[in-house]
Amino acid sequence: MIEKIEVPALARVEGEGGLYIKLKDGQAEEIRVDIYEPPRFFEGFLQGRFLQEVPDITARICGICPVAYQMSSVQALESALGITISEQTRLLRRLLYCGEYIESHALHIYLLQAPDLLGKESALELAAVAPDVVRNALRLKKIGNDLLKAIGGRSVHPVNACVGGFYRWPDVEPIKALLPDLEWGLEAAQETVRWSVTLPYPDLELDYEFVALHRPDEYAVYDGDVWSSKRKPVPVDEFDKVYLEEHVRHSNALHSRTIDGNPYLVGPLARLNLNHEQLSPLAQKALSEAGIKLPLCNPYKSLIARAIELVDAYETAIQLVKNYQPSGKAYAPLTLKAGVGAGASEAPRGLLFHRYAVDAQGLVLRARIVPPTAQNLPRMEEDLKSLVPQIIQLPHAEATLTAEHLVRSYDPCISCATHFLKLRIEEIE
Amino acid sequence: MEAKITVIGIGQSLRGDDAAGLMAVRLWQKNFPETASRPEVRVETLELPGLGLLDYLDGMQAAVLVDAIRSPDPAGSLRRFTLRQALAFTSDARSAHGWGVAETLQLGLALNPSLCQCRLILLGLSGRHFQTGAALSPEVEAALPYAAERIEHEVLRSLRKLARKND
Repeated sequence: MIEKIEVPALARVEGEGGLYIKLKDGQAEEIRVDIYEPPRFFEGFLQGRFLQEVPDITARICGICPVAYQMSSVQALESALGITISEQTRLLRRLLYCGEYIESHALHIYLLQAPDLLGKESALELAAVAPDVVRNALRLKKIGNDLLKAIGGRSVHPVNACVGGFYRWPDVEPIKALLPDLEWGLEAAQETVRWSVTLPYPDLELDYEFVALHRPDEYAVYDGDVWSSKRKPVPVDEFDKVYLEEHVRHSNALHSRTIDGNPYLVGPLARLNLNHEQLSPLAQKALSEAGIKLPLCNPYKSLIARAIELVDAYETAIQLVKNYQPSGKAYAPLTLKAGVGAGASEAPRGLLFHRYAVDAQGLVLRARIVPPTAQNLPRMEEDLKSLVPQIIQLPHAEATLTAEHLVRSYDPCISCATHFLKLRIEEIE
Repeated sequence: MEAKITVIGIGQSLRGDDAAGLMAVRLWQKNFPETASRPEVRVETLELPGLGLLDYLDGMQAAVLVDAIRSPDPAGSLRRFTLRQALAFTSDARSAHGWGVAETLQLGLALNPSLCQCRLILLGLSGRHFQTGAALSPEVEAALPYAAERIEHEVLRSLRKLARKND
């Protein structure tokens, strides 16, 4: 029986933090995902800043999902000002988001989670035995970064998006030049789905409340209404009436629960289970040909959901690139006025909600940001509680790895929520 | 003519002596414009390139990387490492968050064994402080002209070796 497990650093997650598991009589008496890194105070930094600065400031919250922060913030601020963006702006934002999904999902699938499933400690070890897999993964990821660079000027923290649209239309030629790589990526992404279903996932089926944005006409990434597998849909503006943040003593990141106190899951599993009918044609084909039965309720299998979304992102990107032919102004003019607005988009890790109040000069009075990893923290703790009976009889190292792997399968971005570090399991007599 | 040699300054411009690699390469460009502007030489200054560093080495016959290092040497000291020597500094970091140049080069070799054909030299400038928002320490700043001379020396040496090899 395990008495104590300590891991000095939880590897292959974005950020740092700790995990504490206390066992009594073979059951989990207490499980905490400890977030003890100091808060980052972004909501505080934003107060008094001009609203047009918000997309680029919030983008700095994360180097993996800066586009998500830009897209949720511009929508919230456009809502506050009553701005309607053009359809070509919306499509270019969707294309920018494809770049982020591609780079983030390729990284997580192959370099962060696959080593767990293949019994390797790191991507370096994986590269030694399967160099082609890692080589393709890096190419898949790079294409996403190239797309971000073509639209936003930089492959990390792109800077072109603004409230009202874009500062300027990206040149057509560099975007169209990405088509051969995108076509290659679409093939590789489909192969990724076929490969993903052959991996040996731990057994863990759980009863989740899935929450994700939804649109009837496309796989919701950029915008949509807030759907749940267990309650009525709500518009984005009412998100924070149903999904509430709370402070817990062991975490500097807020936790989120539903209005009736339950944890819920955001991210690729939630999106796929709620929105699979809206996937692009080849993503639907890949889903069907791989024999994937929905709903997927095994957190480890979020890798499969990411693989399906990788196909969707590549196929969607190809269509958007082919049709990209901007005309007219790249942004809608700003007419400043006092107001409050909410916006949400689907970061690769899940729903990202922003709300801002601005004054008549366009200065931010209040800001609220609800990142996906913070929403998932209570759910992670519940998952670990369910996992404990399966792992306490395992060899020490295997139990540790299985618990770590569970947290990694969430692709937690602790630096968005705050930061993450140590795994400790103790048994009390 | 396609570039055969790349000179890459690596670092963070807003973190004290971590900017040493960037500053040294820029000073070399200024002090030795004739070499730096040769068509077979490509110059880059990269802030946190991560795994993207491998893309900049792709297809190169020689490379001079310049980066800040933490070492017991006095600040401003300069050390020269070959590719094999640089790999010895690989940490046991299992997360890419803990990766630096050595881990990236190791991954590059695993994925592309022909990287070992590249005549890669790493020049490491010992730093004293790496705090966010700090300027270069006086010791590192004073060492930049010498670092620029060493870059010039390494580039010319690589050019000569490649010329002999390609003859």
